[in-house]
Amino acid sequence: MANPDYHLIGKSLPRIDSAPKVSGEALFTGDLNLPRMLVGKILRSPYTHALIKTIDISKAKALKGVHAVITGQDTAGEKWGVFKYTRDQQLLCVDKVRYVGDEVAAVAAVDEETADEALDLISVEYEELPGVFDCFSAIAPGAPVIHDSHPRNINVAVKIEVGDVEEAFKKCSIIREDTFAADEDSYFMMEPYAVVANYRSDGSIEIWMPNASPHTKAKALSNALRIPLTKVIARKITIGGAFGGRSDVFPAEFITCLLSIKSKRPVKVVYTREENSIATRMGHAMTTTIKTGVDKEGRVLARDIVSYLDGGAYSSTGPIATSVPFLCHEQTYRLENVRFHGYRIYTNKPVRGMIRIHGRSFACGIDTQLDMIAQELGIDPITIRLKNARRPGETTATGSYVSSCGLVECIEKTAAKSDFINKFNNKKPFHGIGIGINSVQTGFPLGIRGGSQALIKFHEDGGATVISGVVDNGQGNDNMLVQIAAEELGIPVEEIRLISADTEITPTDAGSYSMISTFGGGNAVKRAAADARRQIFEIASELLEADPEDLVAKDKKIFVRGAPHAGIPMEKIIRKSLLIGRPIMGTGSFSPEVDQRREWVSNPRGQLSQAFSFGATVAEVEVDPETGTVKAHNVTCAQDCGFALNPMVVEGQFQGGVAMGGQGGMLTEAHHWSQGHVLNPTMLEYKIPIIKDMPNIETIIVESIDPVGPYGAKEAGMSIAMSAAQAYANAIGNALGIYFNRFPLTPERIFDAIENRKSGIETAWDLEPARVIEFDK
Amino acid sequence: MKKLLITMTVNDEQFDLMVRPNETLTETLRERLGLTGVKEGCAEGVCGACAVLMDQHPVRACLTLSMEADGTSITTIEGLASDGKLHHLQESFINHGAVQCGFCTPGMIMVSKALLDEKPSPTDDEIKEALSGNLCRCTGYKKILEAVRSTTQIDPKKGA
Ligand code: FES
Ligand code: FES
Repeated sequence: MANPDYHLIGKSLPRIDSAPKVSGEALFTGDLNLPRMLVGKILRSPYTHALIKTIDISKAKALKGVHAVITGQDTAGEKWGVFKYTRDQQLLCVDKVRYVGDEVAAVAAVDEETADEALDLISVEYEELPGVFDCFSAIAPGAPVIHDSHPRNINVAVKIEVGDVEEAFKKCSIIREDTFAADEDSYFMMEPYAVVANYRSDGSIEIWMPNASPHTKAKALSNALRIPLTKVIARKITIGGAFGGRSDVFPAEFITCLLSIKSKRPVKVVYTREENSIATRMGHAMTTTIKTGVDKEGRVLARDIVSYLDGGAYSSTGPIATSVPFLCHEQTYRLENVRFHGYRIYTNKPVRGMIRIHGRSFACGIDTQLDMIAQELGIDPITIRLKNARRPGETTATGSYVSSCGLVECIEKTAAKSDFINKFNNKKPFHGIGIGINSVQTGFPLGIRGGSQALIKFHEDGGATVISGVVDNGQGNDNMLVQIAAEELGIPVEEIRLISADTEITPTDAGSYSMISTFGGGNAVKRAAADARRQIFEIASELLEADPEDLVAKDKKIFVRGAPHAGIPMEKIIRKSLLIGRPIMGTGSFSPEVDQRREWVSNPRGQLSQAFSFGATVAEVEVDPETGTVKAHNVTCAQDCGFALNPMVVEGQFQGGVAMGGQGGMLTEAHHWSQGHVLNPTMLEYKIPIIKDMPNIETIIVESIDPVGPYGAKEAGMSIAMSAAQAYANAIGNALGIYFNRFPLTPERIFDAIENRKSGIETAWDLEPARVIEFDK
Repeated sequence: MKKLLITMTVNDEQFDLMVRPNETLTETLRERLGLTGVKEGCAEGVCGACAVLMDQHPVRACLTLSMEADGTSITTIEGLASDGKLHHLQESFINHGAVQCGFCTPGMIMVSKALLDEKPSPTDDEIKEALSGNLCRCTGYKKILEAVRSTTQIDPKKGA
């Protein structure tokens, strides 16, 4: 919605980073080339589970052109984990490997061929151990143990209980229990992972890599390398997509630094597509059993949920990953009596992290089951959602106050625009319509805390430079920061420079995960700009002999409201400020108000995030019953993003969310396995949507104007990615009259469900339920 | 490995280069000529990020041996702008918000350019067909389609 008070905010301005990207000028990590730079390569475990007996690197070291060879012996067994209590991943394996791809040794050499040859010359003697490859066998008594500290391979156990669940179930008129499962999915950001490290003679090290938080990376590397934080410098670089897959710290960063330190030369490691899939992160496979009880009207009175997440070999963001599917759910729906048991379970497979539609089986399960209950009650999917949807001013089950919430508007608008009720009631054969709704956080505690700070300095020509720690993964954060500063300062976007995401220069920022960048970093820049403007107005008020309160900054001029012709050019004020010894420098900071005592496992209650976004997506599909293939025709999505700072950017996020969450996430995207080996690590076999697959997408921006977000903004697009998966699942189910419970819905699965159609309101397949795990028994 | 001499014109400039028989065009363009606008997303011919024009036709540089480029004229994304002015396709990608992370962008633009050079008024289906070998993980393709369509000379309503 255009707001007449703003000149730039709320307008679809082209992003500032687009021009260098369309010209080929933008440099990504793999594009960097430093003098004397070496090629780094990593030797990985070929086994799913094995002890390392001996490693012989002597031949590799002796090879001409090899400048460094490192193994776990060079690292003091240094371990990584997001939290102190989850440090379980050795940055180079010392005694044991736990998945195919675990890092065992690395080399730096003059060129790729020499590096490859050196890897071949390293001989490692392993003693193979039996492995476990799925949650149910991993927790079985007597199963091989992957980490000695974790019996039954239970990495994280989260328990949340609110209200009186058992009592509430007694009052329900319908109770259902169903189980939903989904395979592992993957990010497949277009840029393969790469790292460049440059150790310098003053003992400092520069590092470039796609990342979601340079400050977090620098801190972790400082600890692991035992180099003071001040000397670990994560530099700004263009990043080719993240989707949750660049948030964590990876061994490759540490390894590349170590290679550079050892060889005293810059080193570049570029991952193959296969390495990007297996040795960064992937999505969790997950099984969720949901028991829901409702009253006669369809209001949910009680819910009991158990989830098993296949975490792979290490913790990564484990406690967060285990909790977030539930937290999104409790934000979306009113729940007075609810119990959640989440278990993240170790297996001998690649490490799992958070992904854009993290917890497909959970979210799609909730919404599929809701449709089943609606059918039992004889009400439609819209009605049952409106009965249970979150409203503003309410508090979630675990105690987060929701100040702004446009979920009802999202549901109503998508339903109206797609003509949902009419299409649902007058169904054409093999055509289906479905709705999904969801909610995400704008920031949550992630081990590193502290908000975002920003600085703004000025040039004698009246231009400015914004300095912020916020990183841009491709979503448009750089533009967001500049558009906000331009609005506040009345300086055109083109005359504002941005220095961001460089730990040597930029102040701390919490990182661009958990959807906090606009809310946190945007607010910090807005405050810094307001601070600078105050200083500018002070000087201008002397020159104009006017009250600072009456001044306006616009078009690089400061003038008394209503008298733009008599304005003073910005450059004049900047020069004056230098002349009188009061140079202008804006500073601002923002930390969201959350409950700092809240902890993922030990204390999952209190304010989680200061604001939440909400979204609804409706999908319309057609299924070919002969082949099981799905054609999505139309998708209508609405999100309450608070306020759209740049509607074109917001729409782009929605559309990308539909592609990854719905089209890819529900139809094709899954990893296939054989005994812990990924069968489809590359783009050839892992199918992400192409342009021809995409449906027509209608986007609806809902603006609830959050009281704290900058101009009321929260986050853009994540609630769409999540709800699109749910909408597709329900639409396909609606087309066939089948309730699907195993995702994604590949043609084989759909065909199988049609062939073995069950009668009554039942899920398509009988899956083994996830049950509460009794300890010490 | 014995190297071979090739001659190729890249963005209107002629180069004599010694290349290995197994050297890909991606390697030659990126590593020897510094044309890092040629991206490598998959190295197996699937993603289209490495698309360049060889004698006006789009090819995947990762699947093309540099030897095959001997005697040809190559255009990369760096060669599209002229006289300091961006090509209208580049402008259109910017103005339509068709660029997010930008990793797929050079390939998308090169393939679109080849299409429009051959067929100034493609239908939506023809644009989609031409771009179906270019993957984008960020945009959902809608704004890319709009960006290309807006530079064509037809009524956008025609040919859905
Ligand atoms: S890098 Fe050539 S097609 Fe992907
Ligand atoms: S813009 Fe990121 S892959 Fe296309």
